[in-house]
Amino acid sequence: MNEVIGIIIAAILCWLNFVIVDTYFGLPEQPGVRGARIIGENVEKRGGDIAGGFFQGNIVCSPDASAGTLMAAIGYLLLGIPGGIIAAFFVFIGNRLCADPGYAGTVGSLTATLIIFICSFVGFTPEMFIVGMVIAILTVQGIDHKRASILLGKIADKFNRHA
Amino acid sequence: MFDLAYNTIFFASYGNIFGLSNITIGLFDVLLAYVVTIIASIVVALILKIPLLPGKPYRYSFDVSAIYPTPIIAIGIFSIFLVLNYTFMYNGLVLAVVIGALSALFVKYLFDFVFPKPLDEDKGEDI
Repeated sequence: MNEVIGIIIAAILCWLNFVIVDTYFGLPEQPGVRGARIIGENVEKRGGDIAGGFFQGNIVCSPDASAGTLMAAIGYLLLGIPGGIIAAFFVFIGNRLCADPGYAGTVGSLTATLIIFICSFVGFTPEMFIVGMVIAILTVQGIDHKRASILLGKIADKFNRHA
Repeated sequence: MFDLAYNTIFFASYGNIFGLSNITIGLFDVLLAYVVTIIASIVVALILKIPLLPGKPYRYSFDVSAIYPTPIIAIGIFSIFLVLNYTFMYNGLVLAVVIGALSALFVKYLFDFVFPKPLDEDKGEDI
């Protein structure tokens, strides 16, 4: 498969994976730690959405499905499917060190491993998913906090997880 | 003098020298061993009277349970053995049961010591 097309599709798959898993496990609902609340309130002050702000703050403050997807892709590149499962184990340890129960991170990395395994039959490589995940996090955290938080707030509304 | 990573891999490689590991373990065997690991960890956890589900609310609970951290720890450690090519006898089934039992024991007796719950000084507020 063409690398550029593969990276774009992988980025979309990674974005959907981590946003759906994180939203389902309630990242936009409440900030787990004080830092996430400060980030969320700051984003709201600049005209963003409070639920999207909590989502962004929680991503920064502990390894959730975003970090889980990235680690699963790296683990899959290094060691295959067992690497993805080891990544889930390590993300769980990291979650517990960051005062987070860790449901989103472990489930996110296991689903990411599954997605990469299924996509490997169509010609996707784990490298595409690593690059795609970096691009996916960039769209949430890097380009425009305000618009990204409004979009994440709308998705949280759909899942009935708004703050 | 004491290189932990080297010594660990060196110790694990003894299995290959004595023919204890089965390097050509097939895909179906790996899948079966994973399922056995998950089932063994949940069953041993229930025998040790760890509750099946975490306390409510589910999504924010720090409690350990038979469903949530036990199988994750078990399959994570089993994967490490698998990538080291150390699967012991019967296509890894013995190792799967042993790791399932040990991870349930870890969750029951050591988990709160290794990963203590975050201090909740003002109840209900952020940590």
